[in-house]
Amino acid sequence: MVATTLSERGRKLLRDFPALGALHQHDRRGIEGLIDLVERAAEYNRTVALPRALELDERMEREPDYFDWEMMREACKYRFFSLAIPEVIGGLASKYMVTGMALVVEELCSACGGIGLAIAAHSLGVAPVIASGAMAHWDTVLHEIVEEEKKGNPVLMAYAITEPSAGTDVEEPEFLEVAKIGLEAKKVKGGYRVNGRKCFISGGSEAKYITMTAATDRSRPLETWTTFLVERDMEGFSTPRVELKMGQRACHAAELLFEDVFIPDSHVLGYEGDGIENGILIIMAASRGPVGAIATGIARGAFEHFLAWTRESANGKRPIDEDRIRMALADMYAALEENRGLYLGHSLGGDALFRNAFTHPIFLSAFMIPRRVRASKPYASLLNSYYGKGLVNILFRYFIKDDDATDMLAKASLAKFACADNAMALVARALELMGATPSPERRWVEKAYRDVKLTQIYEGTNQLNRLALFNAEIAGTLKIEIPGPFKKGVR
Amino acid sequence: MARLPEFREEQEYRILRESAASYAANELAPQAEELDLEPAAWRVKKAISKAGELGMLSALVPEEKGGGGLDDYAFCVALEEIAVEEAGIAVALLAHNAALLPSALGEFEGLITGVGAESYPACLAFPGEISLRDGKVSGKVPFAFNAVDCPFITLIPTDEAGTRAATVSADATGVSAEPEAYPLGLRAACPGSLRLEGAEPSNLISGGNMLEAVERALYLGLAAVSVGIIRNSLRKAYAYARERYQAGKMIIEHQQMRLFLAEMLAGVEEGRSLVREASSSPELAPSMIAWLRNTARACQAATDGVQIHGGYGYMRDYGMERLMRDAKYCQMYPSTSQEALLRLLDMSETG
Repeated sequence: MVATTLSERGRKLLRDFPALGALHQHDRRGIEGLIDLVERAAEYNRTVALPRALELDERMEREPDYFDWEMMREACKYRFFSLAIPEVIGGLASKYMVTGMALVVEELCSACGGIGLAIAAHSLGVAPVIASGAMAHWDTVLHEIVEEEKKGNPVLMAYAITEPSAGTDVEEPEFLEVAKIGLEAKKVKGGYRVNGRKCFISGGSEAKYITMTAATDRSRPLETWTTFLVERDMEGFSTPRVELKMGQRACHAAELLFEDVFIPDSHVLGYEGDGIENGILIIMAASRGPVGAIATGIARGAFEHFLAWTRESANGKRPIDEDRIRMALADMYAALEENRGLYLGHSLGGDALFRNAFTHPIFLSAFMIPRRVRASKPYASLLNSYYGKGLVNILFRYFIKDDDATDMLAKASLAKFACADNAMALVARALELMGATPSPERRWVEKAYRDVKLTQIYEGTNQLNRLALFNAEIAGTLKIEIPGPFKKGVR
Repeated sequence: MARLPEFREEQEYRILRESAASYAANELAPQAEELDLEPAAWRVKKAISKAGELGMLSALVPEEKGGGGLDDYAFCVALEEIAVEEAGIAVALLAHNAALLPSALGEFEGLITGVGAESYPACLAFPGEISLRDGKVSGKVPFAFNAVDCPFITLIPTDEAGTRAATVSADATGVSAEPEAYPLGLRAACPGSLRLEGAEPSNLISGGNMLEAVERALYLGLAAVSVGIIRNSLRKAYAYARERYQAGKMIIEHQQMRLFLAEMLAGVEEGRSLVREASSSPELAPSMIAWLRNTARACQAATDGVQIHGGYGYMRDYGMERLMRDAKYCQMYPSTSQEALLRLLDMSETG
């Protein structure tokens, strides 16, 4: 009975993403928007990602410094750099921002984990500008990204947390307290002087704007953790090296070097000292689900190549005709469904939480002021003032409650480690079953094997994510506090 | 590195272990990264040239035939030690020795040339569909080690119940070799594919079950190489865990990381025992079992080793990710693990 009321697309959706298929009956337009995104990503894969993925991966082993700007310029046509930018600024982010992000990322990573990451890392860089409510930069930085994207120029962002001596440490409050922090942003008149290094920053060497979290006092990182907006041409800032990674090579992991870089007060996102809640936990709560989607995408790509291999005939026999291969295919399919359930559950929950920040009338009304005014200096300094920030924060606190954010971090961390572990196991099994087959499909699965390992490591190792789930949900000892003018750390 | 409980073995093996370890540490460790990134023929040649002093260039050929005369276990001991530094070179030597095995075991039917080559490891063209008709060999081998630049290729025609072997000079007419386009791991062992179209063998060797002997050597040798990979993972991860501070304490003090490391430690012991047992049996099955278990262990150990290293493990500089790639290829050759398992059952039923 249900089927007759479904459109062709709705039916396909119900098969591919059952949760979205069900939602489609309640919010046809919203969900159709999501399908559009996935279809665009699939087209990008066909025309841009797939034809270059293998060659690019191999080339970047020999020339780690090379970056394929062409694929990024092509991505502009599909507007992949506006996915996390609110509609009021001209971007695409609306009530399904997180879900849209996750779906696009899965699709892109099914072709190439590295290209998918290069595109996703940009939105990760955008996220702190949104989540901190730093509206003073929306009409300048984010607007520039949208406008340049329309002209085909990718203006990229990146998010920098990891330091050479502290990776996982800086993503969890209880560890940050005891972390060995190397980078410091010292308060000086009118701003901050930054000295030190960040490492493994995805997209860091190509980004024009970098959101960065750092301590303003190295000896008290937990209390002084702060989110900054760094511009590439700030004096003393450089990206001296990129790493040679095992996989996901199309996206650089860069080292950022700060030598006496001056960051003005206006480039503090949120408040000094609210970096843990504002800069890390909320961002991780929103972004770990999409990382689960990266893992799922890589695994799905491997599954598709594996499936193609099972249909190839060798000496008149096809692997797919064997029972054990069919069982394995069923297991892999189940793992992919499980992953999609996990990351979509998280993403849809995240959107329920964040949607107000993109769609609520109170919020939208702030954008009825003409853009000319919004982009002006006095308006920016109003937003950057104590009261301006306070007002925005009261609004965000009204939309997003502490407990909801904590729950979301728990779900996000769960989706991240479970999806990554499932994906790793799937790809490893596919290769084990293929063996040293002469099929050209093997090389794709081998690449996926190299690519997928990173998903167990970045955005907090899977062990850290297990602890985050434990702390936030099972033990209930972790609470995210949405920062506000009457809260700790606010001066 | 973590001190392993002493593995009980006779003096002769202990001496060999030491000399193989020092060869690996002096000749291979300094260029392990280059051997992976750019395994040019001259580099591989240079790396294996000193292995001759260990008897590893003709390990399984009896001394009376002019070979190294190592027994199977001694061969495995040396492979394990070499694989601790460079699994690719260990596999190159394994494939080379497996290629020499038929000439060590059988009777030559014709002119003896090109055996015991010192220039570059020989290639064992296995597994593949090879036919020997009218004194000429034809067929395809989709995946073999030392496939490119080798002096000669050993083949076991599949249409003769595996009792005869042929060696073909690599530059004979009708022989073409194609390097693997972009191998995942074991790059120093130069994987590639071979095609033979009516190539004339330089030697024909007959006697015994060549096919089974060669297969057993590959399974057994790869099982030993896998132990080496587990040891290397343990060594690297243990050292890193002791020097890296994370989340309020050294990594080595984190319980989950200790579990990873302890699993590796257990894997080394278990792996060695399996290799020791298998090398004392002439049957194929024990070697297959050792290969099945040890390669799976090695894949897990290397993956966990990368995880212990965190982001650094994923970067080439730390040499950890290479182990993950090498281990996986050990598991994918000479058969898939499920194919080996299924055959295992058949073997025990018939036996």
